[in-house]
Amino acid sequence: MEAVKKILTNTKMPFCPGCGHGVCVRSISKSLENLGYGSKDVIIVSDIGCSGLVDPLFATHTIHGLHGRSPALGVGVTLGLDNPNKKVIVIQGDGGATIGLQHILEAARRNIDMTLVVINNLLYGMTGGQMSGLSTNEFKEYKHSNDDADPYDVVNLAHQSGAAFSVRVNNISNFTDVLKEAISISGFSLVELSSLCTSHGLKKVSEMKHYIVAEEKLTNNRPVGVSIKQNTISLLDRAKILTPQFNSKIKDGIGIVIAGSAGGGIQSAAKMLAQAAILSGLYATMKGEYPITVGTGFSVAEVILSKKPIYFTGLEKPNAVLVVTEDGWNKVKNRITDNSKVYVDAKINYNNSFITKDFLKVGGKKGAALSAVSYWVKESGVFPIEALIKVTENSKYAISLQKAIEGAEKLRELVYVEKK
Amino acid sequence: MIDASRIITEALVQSGSDVFIGYPITPSNLFYSYSKERFPEFLAGPDEISVLQWMCGYSAAGKIPVTATAFPGLALMTETLNMAYMMELPMVLVITQRLGPSTGSATTGAQGDLKFLDGIISGGFPMPIFSPSNFNDAWTLSNKAVKTAIEFRTPVIILTSKELVMTQRSFNINSLEPLEQINRTPKVFEPPYKPYKAGEDKVPTFYPLGNNEYQTRFNASTHDNDGLIRKGTPESLANTWRLREKLEERINEYSFFELDTDDGADDLIVTWGVSADASRDAINLLRKKGKKVSLLIVKTILPISQNIYNIIDSYKTVTFAEENMTGLYKEMIFGKRKNSKVKVATKFGSMLTPSEIEEIVN
Repeated sequence: MEAVKKILTNTKMPFCPGCGHGVCVRSISKSLENLGYGSKDVIIVSDIGCSGLVDPLFATHTIHGLHGRSPALGVGVTLGLDNPNKKVIVIQGDGGATIGLQHILEAARRNIDMTLVVINNLLYGMTGGQMSGLSTNEFKEYKHSNDDADPYDVVNLAHQSGAAFSVRVNNISNFTDVLKEAISISGFSLVELSSLCTSHGLKKVSEMKHYIVAEEKLTNNRPVGVSIKQNTISLLDRAKILTPQFNSKIKDGIGIVIAGSAGGGIQSAAKMLAQAAILSGLYATMKGEYPITVGTGFSVAEVILSKKPIYFTGLEKPNAVLVVTEDGWNKVKNRITDNSKVYVDAKINYNNSFITKDFLKVGGKKGAALSAVSYWVKESGVFPIEALIKVTENSKYAISLQKAIEGAEKLRELVYVEKK
Repeated sequence: MIDASRIITEALVQSGSDVFIGYPITPSNLFYSYSKERFPEFLAGPDEISVLQWMCGYSAAGKIPVTATAFPGLALMTETLNMAYMMELPMVLVITQRLGPSTGSATTGAQGDLKFLDGIISGGFPMPIFSPSNFNDAWTLSNKAVKTAIEFRTPVIILTSKELVMTQRSFNINSLEPLEQINRTPKVFEPPYKPYKAGEDKVPTFYPLGNNEYQTRFNASTHDNDGLIRKGTPESLANTWRLREKLEERINEYSFFELDTDDGADDLIVTWGVSADASRDAINLLRKKGKKVSLLIVKTILPISQNIYNIIDSYKTVTFAEENMTGLYKEMIFGKRKNSKVKVATKFGSMLTPSEIEEIVN
């Protein structure tokens, strides 16, 4: 910590005569000085409204943000600082406290090591004295406001959310001592200070006791919230490197659509197809489509394979369409063109021009798509089936995946027998 | 097989970004999950407003924060993005475009956020927006985004689209060049230190909150060189003007594009982002058929540099290829008024195809 210096500048207070904000600012300053903080040890985060005029009063670091957002800004500053001995003090009014109530609750929930001072003058001072979410029912009645909703109790809300320390102080002679207590505590502290607005509200401190909420002090003994730093390794180091070891005879690009149901291994089968193609010296792209509720409904994958680099990844006219369930069929049936060779599972309604096989029967629910893929790979001769077997080798499901591929081979044998 | 989300995340970390703060949203979810694995620090915000406020706090404390979102999240972040811009806080936002309006279709790509971004800073101030057209761009532009954010003290946006960041491709990762290391040392300044007093380059020297050398102040309201609210003084207004000047006067330092010139061509295709690959295919189709046509892929999509205007002006016919209803980049250049020189190849709700671009050019 640097040598103790004055926390306040010599700037004249910008507040209306009799305004309570000056007392609050002096109390914050005094508490910091009493605790031994130097000006560069402190970061004041200010909000919008009369409480947002405080920056020039402080000789500390300051950051003046948006209405209601200063507790969130304070969280970022606190977690971003390298030196935990610096102190972050956020100052906002009752208007800001309701705009950004979520930010207060989040700072309390995480028990971030900072102090939030809510200067509550029971109204929106800068815009003409309208009632706020912290205006008490008694004050609203006094101001002839017809809003009878009870005010928020931010002290209790912060406490319920997990704040280490939350307190309401009405007696100005106690402001400094309570602020010192709050600032000294590790974790999130909220101090609600009752303040006069002489322009739009009450004129005298002595009148306040009729219109404010009683003092309370609440504590939670919880660990302080920190952001944990981690050592990580490059995402590229974790990418699977596929070096070509098979050959492909294809000359032009081929587009394959694979369609089925969620949980049916559609995306995995597509990925294995693409990886096997890369092992065979081809370029490949793959994209998936499924409902936002990923666990139900259709699952469709598109794969493009090409000897040349692929630019456009859309697939207008698929060369092959492999369909293993009714969900998948309903999703892709309109994409079939004269150009498409279609392979469907025997359980799906089909027309005679399609190739119909028992993919589901030989591959099972999770392997049917891979059975269809391997059937197509073998039939089209796009690359050796060994490339597909190769990509399954390192999978924890290698045995069942290879069974699905073998099953497809049996389907081919059936064709052979039939032809005989 | 790799996707651009992974490449962008890795490049941002290797370029010196310190922390990812996010709230997941489709189609930016991969950034969230990759960042959780890779960033030295990762924070899950409770909402997008908090996310950007936390980022501002980190940035003011001297860190480079990153987030990734889509239009609905960006809309919530807009007030705070203005704050970050006004405070001159370096940070990077990855925006993955999806079909709107409103929540639209979360899993359908689009290029529909350009006009919103053009006016996103109240007063029409420029903010650097980079739009990668392929994986190599994703790598290098992410590095440029961090560099630009630091050198110009500004938020920078990387504008992507669903198909660009979620499609998996075979890719030779050895083709990625080593990234430029970015200098974070505070610039030399003429004393005394004032947080918003700038030199000739119009960018004030950055000292973080909590530093032991100089008192520093950040301010979202109109402020003077000391960082204190001043309404309408020559100094404070000049300070606000400076935000525009610093980015416009040095625009060529961060204005990137790719021009594939066909000698003697009268036709030019202008494109950006996810429509660039369809345009690359379209150019090949057209040239195979004997058509002379050049291709301009714009990578710094905003602000628009004079170089872009000059290239467009040098062709008789220009076709804009974009995945939106009317050609939003075209409207940036030529407005909405019909122009006999200008054609648009657009698509709404699915990817613009090479043959559709070819047809419009012909």
